[in-house]
This record gives sequence, structure tokens and C-alpha cells, in this order.
Amino acid sequence: MMEKILEVKDLNVTFDTYSGSVKAVRGVTFDLKKGETLAIVGESGSGKSVTTKALMGLIPKPAGKIPKGEILFDGKDLTKLSDKQMSKIRGRDISMIFQDPMTSLNPTMKIGRQIMESLIKHQKMSKDKAKERAIELLELVGIPNPKDRIDQYPHQFSGGMRQRVVIAIALACNPKILLADEPTTALDVTIQAQILELMKDIQKKTDSSIVFITHDLGVVANVADRVAVMYAGKIVEIGTVDDIFYNPKHPYTWGLLGSMPTLDSAEEELIAIPGSPPDLTNPPTGDAFAPRNPYAMKIDTEMQPPMFKVSDTHYAATWLLHENAPEVDPPEAVKRRMRDFAEGSMEKGDRS
Amino acid sequence: MSEEKLLEVTNLKQHFQTGRHSIVKAVDGITFDIKRGETFGLVGESGCGKSTTGRTIIRLYDATDGSVKFAGEDVHGKKSRSELKKFNRKMQMIFQDPYASLNPRMTVKEIISEGLDIHGLVANDEERTKRVQDLLETVGLNKEHATRYPHEFSGGQRQRIGIARALAVEPEFIIADEPISALDVSIQAQVVNLLKKLQKEHDLTYLFIAHDLSMVKYISDRIGVMYFGKMVELADSEELYKNPVHPYTKSLLSAIPLPDPDYERNRKRIIYDPNNHDTSEEPEFREIRPNHWVLCTTKEFEAYKEELNN
Repeated sequence: MMEKILEVKDLNVTFDTYSGSVKAVRGVTFDLKKGETLAIVGESGSGKSVTTKALMGLIPKPAGKIPKGEILFDGKDLTKLSDKQMSKIRGRDISMIFQDPMTSLNPTMKIGRQIMESLIKHQKMSKDKAKERAIELLELVGIPNPKDRIDQYPHQFSGGMRQRVVIAIALACNPKILLADEPTTALDVTIQAQILELMKDIQKKTDSSIVFITHDLGVVANVADRVAVMYAGKIVEIGTVDDIFYNPKHPYTWGLLGSMPTLDSAEEELIAIPGSPPDLTNPPTGDAFAPRNPYAMKIDTEMQPPMFKVSDTHYAATWLLHENAPEVDPPEAVKRRMRDFAEGSMEKGDRS
Repeated sequence: MSEEKLLEVTNLKQHFQTGRHSIVKAVDGITFDIKRGETFGLVGESGCGKSTTGRTIIRLYDATDGSVKFAGEDVHGKKSRSELKKFNRKMQMIFQDPYASLNPRMTVKEIISEGLDIHGLVANDEERTKRVQDLLETVGLNKEHATRYPHEFSGGQRQRIGIARALAVEPEFIIADEPISALDVSIQAQVVNLLKKLQKEHDLTYLFIAHDLSMVKYISDRIGVMYFGKMVELADSEELYKNPVHPYTKSLLSAIPLPDPDYERNRKRIIYDPNNHDTSEEPEFREIRPNHWVLCTTKEFEAYKEELNN
């Protein structure tokens, strides 16, 4: 059993707005093990970014509040720390890679200084030493001629190179946890592939844990060890990457998988999830996905489903897993996935 | 799909002057045609000139060189007002960003009916309202939405308004420039299904510009791959995915992550190095198999052919 490095228990985050308080995250529980990559997937507004912001202590106050829940890291509850205590952890133990490399760098600062900033602050390095380390980091993230490049400004770098700089900054203090919020969404596919390879490579070298937020299921399949699917501020299904892709249990996960064409799904219509996500100012009483769920039952509109256990690694919050629930037939695209996998694993069994 | 060529693009060039002595060749001599009723996908990375191609075809830019023929008539060159109007009605565009492409100070009805009024397609307000309501229903919105403003809608709904606006003047040809990249996965499927349905019902022809290759493969009949202002490969979508020939196409295809962990664990990325090309002569666009074109030199042509046959 791998050691748990971070535990999130029943996390709730709300934002006060003029039209009432928006319940952006509604009771999220998960843990992160050492050296693993956990992907959080979901649509915009599902609370995935807010969850990571909470981990970084970056929920804007006073509008944003954490009324309930714990984030346990290194024996401390991060939700209880003062800003000053949090700033010691942020950037040192937990650091973040943002989506847009165009806006997350300071355009008026040379990139060397931007990397050195946290080294001087957290590790109390001298300027010369920090500079040496900055050059090392640029080398690590694969930027050619780092000695010359540290004296350049962000606009002198391409998008992919800028994202490498952002990663170098995040890695500066050897963080234990790296939070990556859509780090490749703004990049082209070939550059995305390079950045993903780089992140996996660095993870192998430093044994850090990564929380990877994305809505691209292809990227998830590529990087993740485990996957959490979020919908309307809750985790609706969590499991290993194989659990989620080859044995999904939640109708929302079915919808997500079915709405992406695979290269061999040719003629059939894509399964679109009808409607749009609910308004989280007044979240529905029952299952938030029920109005868009073709498999919804009466109980879905009345009570929120608990997390049902599928296996030791796999949990899903849908009433379909209750013992009294009727058997349902998942969409064809999903059944094909399950079938392919069953055949695949049998083949593997034969070989061993 | 018929064999009739609806759009013929010949040696199209679009160069931008970016300084006194510097010119960006965004589109540098591309040739292709689109048949009536088909969906032609244009893919490539940012900066390859795919959007510029779309915008030049619809005359948002004046072409530097080359010609664009729509149903046999030249689109570019000097045109009278009425001639332009005629083209504008036949050719419409759906934009990438549903937030930026709708005027926030106009109601949905005003946005959709603008084209109807310009082309004089409705006689009075009653007819206008009726037509707008019909269009809204066609794209899966309610007729009550007509009086609302764009900010009251979600991204997917806004993209539907953009589609209704494009459909209002009953065009034959629609250029869709990354119509789904700004939308969530579950909403993308809704919009793609809608575009497919409308194509069947209204006999539309699409130029679908995107960088999401799995979606392009799904929606397109034929696909053109662009790299640095040139088209490097063009083929039926099945053929392109099964037998990519140009090294850039191979590298692009090998870079797409697919929602399949087993495949991902074994995926090997091919890296494209433009320096590996044969430089003994200018590459030309050649037909390597029926309907499968690739940009190559004579020497490369022979090598690719050999590779395809093995």
C-alpha cells in the first residue's frame, strides 16, 4: 500500500454572490498517494478547479468560504492555516501549474528571476546559488541554452516553451504535490505530447504526486493512475484509470465516454448528454445529474446517492448500484469498451 | 454527396505584411476543392494557416494570389454590391468563440434577423418573428429565447444561436472555424450532432476547421492537413487515418491522446523533423493513390509509394 500524502475529507466551498451563495464544491472526499497521478475530470463549473484552488489556499476571500471539510497534509489541516502559514507551504510543498502560459508569467520580469523568486524566499538561497539552480531547472524541463535563456523575457518564448518555464517554476522547490490545472489545454497536440512526456519523466525522477485537472479524456488516459469524475461539485465516480475507462458505472461517465468519438467509431451518432449542468446556487435535492440522465429513477430526484463500492479501488455515486435497482443497459459505445477490455484481459491472462 | 464541385480553391495565397521588409506567408499556395454536400475537414496546428484559409475563402481577407470559385463563379476580384450580396447569402460562417461572436447589445432575434433584413427575405415583422422562431427550434432552442440577450445563454446555447444566424439566409456552404473547441466535451457532441442533422436536412456543404483530430475524422468525408501555409496531405478521412503518408501527418496522428488507457500505454510518438525532406527540388502536390494527395518531391513520391504498397 502506497503512503497517503494528502487527504481531502468532505470538502465544501461556497462563493457569496449577489444572487445567493453558489455551492461550487459539495462534499468532496479523496486521497492522493505518493508518486501517483490523480486526474480530476469534469465540465466547466463542475468544481474541479475550485477544489485545487482550495488545496493551494487560493480561494478568494471574503466571497469564497470553506464552511466544512478538511484538507490533511503533513499532519496539518490546510483549511485552518493562516495566510502566513499557508504561504510557507504554497510553492514549496504544494505548487501549481496553470492553464495559460501566456498569462501566468510576469511579462516584465526576466524568466530567470521568476524562477529564482521562490528559491530565494523558501529555500533562503543566495542569489548566485539560485541562479545556478534556475539554469539546472531549465535544463531539466528541456529548454536549450538555459544560460542565455534566463536573461530573456516571456514574450521571447513560444507557447510550449513558456509552459516549460511555468513547470520549472513549479518544480523549483521540489514540491511533494504538483497541481496541474489544464496545463496543456492551450497548447497544440504535438506540444501537448511533449509537455505530458516531460511531466511523467519529472515525476519519475522526483517521485512527486500530481493532481491533474483536465476535461480531455485522451489526456487522462495518457497520464492518470487514478481518475475522479466530478459533476456539479461532487465526485460521482472514482477509480483506477482502467476502472473508469473499461468498467464505468455512473451514467455521467458513460455520457462523457460516449460523447467523444474514438478513431474507430465511424457512423453511429455521438451520445450527447442532453441539457446543461445545474445552477449551483440552488442545487437540486436529489442527484444533480438526474435531469440529464436517461437512466434516472424516482429516487434520483428525491435523495442524493451515496458512494457505492464497486471494488477496493472503484467507487461510484449512483442509485443504479443499489441492490434494489433494476438492471440497465449502458450505451453501445460503453458496452464496446467493457467488451474489448474483457477480451483484452483474457488475452493477458493467457500470456501469463 | 455528388461529384459536382461546389468550391474550387486554386493556388490560394494570403500573405500579410508585418513590417517594412517582413512578410508572413500565412497561406502559401494551396489547391483543393469541396464537393456539394460533403464535409471537408481542415486540420493543423495553430499558425498553420487553416483559419486564414477559411477567412480568405469567405472574403474576410483579400487574397494575395490564386482564385476561389464558388459554383463555377470567381468569388474574389472586383465585385459589385449586388454580386457580393449574392455570395454572402450562399456562404456563411460559424465562429470559434461563441462569447465574442455575438453582439452583447442585440437580442437573439436581432442577431438572427440581421441577415434576413439585409437580403430582404422577410416582408414584415410578423414574418420575421416567425422565421426567427422556426430557426431557433431548428437548432434546438425555444422560441421564448428570441427576446433574450447573449449573456443569458451558456456556451453551447450561444453556439446554437451562431448556427441559427448562419442558417437564416439559407446558405449552401458553411465555413465552421473551430465551432466546438470552446465548448465542454458533453456539449461538443450536441453541437456536432446538430451540424450533422442540419447537413442532412438542408443539403449543406461544410468546411470544418479544427485542431481536434478525432472530432474532424468523425465529421469529415475528406481531410486536408496543413503545415506552415501549405497543404501537405489530402485524402478521404478513413484513408488518411489508416495510411498517412506525409511524415508531418504521421507525427500529428501519433500525438493525439485517445480515451483508451491500453492504447495510451503503447502509443509511440513519431517526431517530425522538417530537415529530413529531400531538398533537391521544390515539392509538388502529387496523387499517390486515387484521391490521396501528398506534398512531395519526385524522389519522395517513389519512396512513399513503396511504403504504401508494403
